[in-house]
Amino acid sequence: MTREIEKKLRDAVRELLEKGTIDRIVGYEAGSLKFSTTPLITSNKADVDRLVINPFTHSNLSVFLRDLCGKVGIVAKGCDARSIISLIQDRQIARKDVFVIGAPCGGVIDLAKVEKLTGLDRDEVDDIVWQGEKAAITFAGSTQKFSAKEVLADSCLGCDPSDFKECDMLIGEIEPIVGGKELGQDRIREMEAMAPAQRWEFWKKEFSRCIRCYGCRQVCPACFCDRCFVEETEPRWISPLPKWQDNLIFQVVRMMHVAGRCTNCGECERICPANIPLGSLTKKMEEIVDELFQYRAGTDKDAPPLMAAYQPDELEDLMR
Amino acid sequence: MNNSEPKIVAFCCNWCSYAGADLAGTSRMQYPANLRIIRVMCSGRVNPVFVLKALRVGADGVLVLGCHPGDCHYLTGNYRTRRRLSITMKFMEYMGIEPERIQVSWCSASEGSRFAEVVTEVTADLKRISPNRLFND
Amino acid sequence: MKKIKKQSIPELLEKWQKEFAVFVPSKASGVSQMEVWDGQDTAFLNRNRNTAVPPKEKFLPGMEKMFGFRKEEGSYVVEPTDGEPPKQLLFGIHPCDARAIGIIDMVFKDAYDDKYYLSRRENTVLVGMACTSPYDSCFCTSLGFGPADAMDVDIMLIDIGDAFLIEEVTEKGRGILAGAKGVIEATEKDEKEAAAARESANAKVSRKIDTAEISRRLPLVFNDREFWEEVSAKCVSCGICTFLCPTCYCFDINDEMLQDGSGARYRNWDCCSFAIYTRMPAENPREEKWRRVRQKVYHKYLFYPELFNVIACTGCGRCIRQCPVNWDITQTLSNLPAGSPGKAEEKKKAS
Ligand code: SF4
Ligand code: SF4
Ligand code: SF4
Ligand code: SF4
Ligand code: FES
Repeated sequence: MTREIEKKLRDAVRELLEKGTIDRIVGYEAGSLKFSTTPLITSNKADVDRLVINPFTHSNLSVFLRDLCGKVGIVAKGCDARSIISLIQDRQIARKDVFVIGAPCGGVIDLAKVEKLTGLDRDEVDDIVWQGEKAAITFAGSTQKFSAKEVLADSCLGCDPSDFKECDMLIGEIEPIVGGKELGQDRIREMEAMAPAQRWEFWKKEFSRCIRCYGCRQVCPACFCDRCFVEETEPRWISPLPKWQDNLIFQVVRMMHVAGRCTNCGECERICPANIPLGSLTKKMEEIVDELFQYRAGTDKDAPPLMAAYQPDELEDLMR
Repeated sequence: MNNSEPKIVAFCCNWCSYAGADLAGTSRMQYPANLRIIRVMCSGRVNPVFVLKALRVGADGVLVLGCHPGDCHYLTGNYRTRRRLSITMKFMEYMGIEPERIQVSWCSASEGSRFAEVVTEVTADLKRISPNRLFND
Repeated sequence: MKKIKKQSIPELLEKWQKEFAVFVPSKASGVSQMEVWDGQDTAFLNRNRNTAVPPKEKFLPGMEKMFGFRKEEGSYVVEPTDGEPPKQLLFGIHPCDARAIGIIDMVFKDAYDDKYYLSRRENTVLVGMACTSPYDSCFCTSLGFGPADAMDVDIMLIDIGDAFLIEEVTEKGRGILAGAKGVIEATEKDEKEAAAARESANAKVSRKIDTAEISRRLPLVFNDREFWEEVSAKCVSCGICTFLCPTCYCFDINDEMLQDGSGARYRNWDCCSFAIYTRMPAENPREEKWRRVRQKVYHKYLFYPELFNVIACTGCGRCIRQCPVNWDITQTLSNLPAGSPGKAEEKKKAS
């Protein structure tokens, strides 16, 4: 089934390149590690046969769009498609310069979850395949089945198939994955069950591990500033030293900046080398934005960006 | 533990709230002396990072004051700051900061008494909670 | 040769704790790194996978105070940081990371006396643990050593089931073993098992690069912009590969000021993947990403060998497995165009 979709994708992209509809393609190819893919950015037709679609297409490729010139074809999962729309809303890319190839991903598998379930590192797991509704994971000499909920990335739980907007082409069928908005919110509720002081202690501990690699910012399509506030020196808003206090402020301010842009693609959390649960923050921000403004990032290319809009009579109950 | 003398950083816009503060002062209205006022041209200038930085360097609370909705001298500055800071307040609560520490209000140039009132209330709020030790090691 | 039963290790660690801060591989903090041994944990004796954060931070902390200063009568008084760093013992360091410390030594110890680094380095004992299960991203065997080699450590332990075979490498190492309980003579069988363990670990490292060919080709492709643009396209310019690299040592210096004019000078990790790393008022020689990616490869594989006669990469594989986009240095190195840029061009056009 996957093979079929891959063939369809490759044929389509080849044709688009041949016809000159697009100048280059941003997609996924097999990565160099087990269960990995890696971005494939090419204008060469010969590379098209390397394109893949599988449950390990983790990257949000829209992060590359601003830097690529010409008309760019991009293989987009649901959350990536929304990031693209968000970039158009923010005038970071022009609608006419992208050709969106929607690739219903069926959900990507969260390898960190797999590692927890198996107690092994990802390279020690033998195989992961979908068998109907279940993921069959082979490890330590036997195969066990896990429900989609257990292995899918949090961002995929509650992913909405109607997110595939602005697709110029669709490869395969859009199917709801594991629906339900409430899914993926468990961790927010858990956090809120703690007393405020406890929550602060929790985040203090988490951010004391941050090494300020800025990976979270770099993989994030919503973090598109040419000069990030952390790099400003006159005045210097936060210390460049990885002190937990400044690490925390960095991330909190980053969250403010991506509010209404963040699509909860989950990339920042996935790649954080310090394993800081950034998804809890992005998810909470999504919820706040929904609650206060009934706004969902990246669903309407013609809508003004959330922070550039206002209603004269909103939010007064929050003011003193 | 309560905080007998909280330090409050207030961002006041030049046209309304700062003038309001001035009026409160010249009309000798009583309000707590806990305020450190920073004048900004418009409340719309207030970036969430200002608020966090104030807390980081030891303010017990931050108060942002602007013109009443509809009265901003740059037309929409306070609408924008309202969105931005509403999110900041909600989000910081999730992080574990007491909601008393970040507050936003409106005050016109003629509302000296309202200025004194808001400052009194915010000070009372902050007296109820403990001093800001959030960013202590 | 000697050996020690695994069950005797906790007692040995306790003994060492009297003299040293003892660090072991641990996930207790939420990420796998060297942590102070809690007196209980023994998981690392059996499940021996290298840490995500390399032990270099025990010598080059992510943030380090260099000295304090305060204003006095119109001038500044420098207040040196007090005392020597505590004595530390790193238990279970892998050969690649020990090698990396040997490599960093060349900069901070041989080429220049960096007192901050040196005082930590001299106060440290390295107890190596041979790797039994390399990652699929490891390629140490291509860099002149193997996952069970005892280089740059004070003693080396090789897992032989319920015990470790001990290789005493330095005087320091011999010293800390003196009088240790549970250390007994190894049998011939033990030594055979250790040799087999070494063999099998070596065999598990399947990723390979050809360093001779790389050193031949690298000097020729510096100006092959097209190649570097192509390989760098997917890099997102974060600091992960640098900060987690056991041999990357670049640092930045920052002063933290207090209101009264006193303050402290710190150094913290820096990274050549950041565009800001080389940003200057007038220009930035490495504004474009391909120049930064090229720099990373050149520094490790060409400039360092020219200066110190050793490649500044130990094949630990962290930059491959932790990279957000799976940018793989071994692929880039293996795909270096052969010959001069001109020739590479021609070859490309022909194919
Ligand atoms: S990716 Fe993680 S460690 Fe790196 S800067 Fe972001 S939060 Fe910190
Ligand atoms: S954190 Fe904010 S300033 Fe920095 S890149 Fe992201 S959006 Fe821009
Ligand atoms: S903040 Fe994180 S989850 Fe949100 S768009 Fe950016 S990378 Fe994705
Ligand atoms: S190679 Fe990977 S880890 Fe290194 S800077 Fe590029 S994206 Fe980040
Ligand atoms: S000028 Fe007062 S809020 Fe804009």
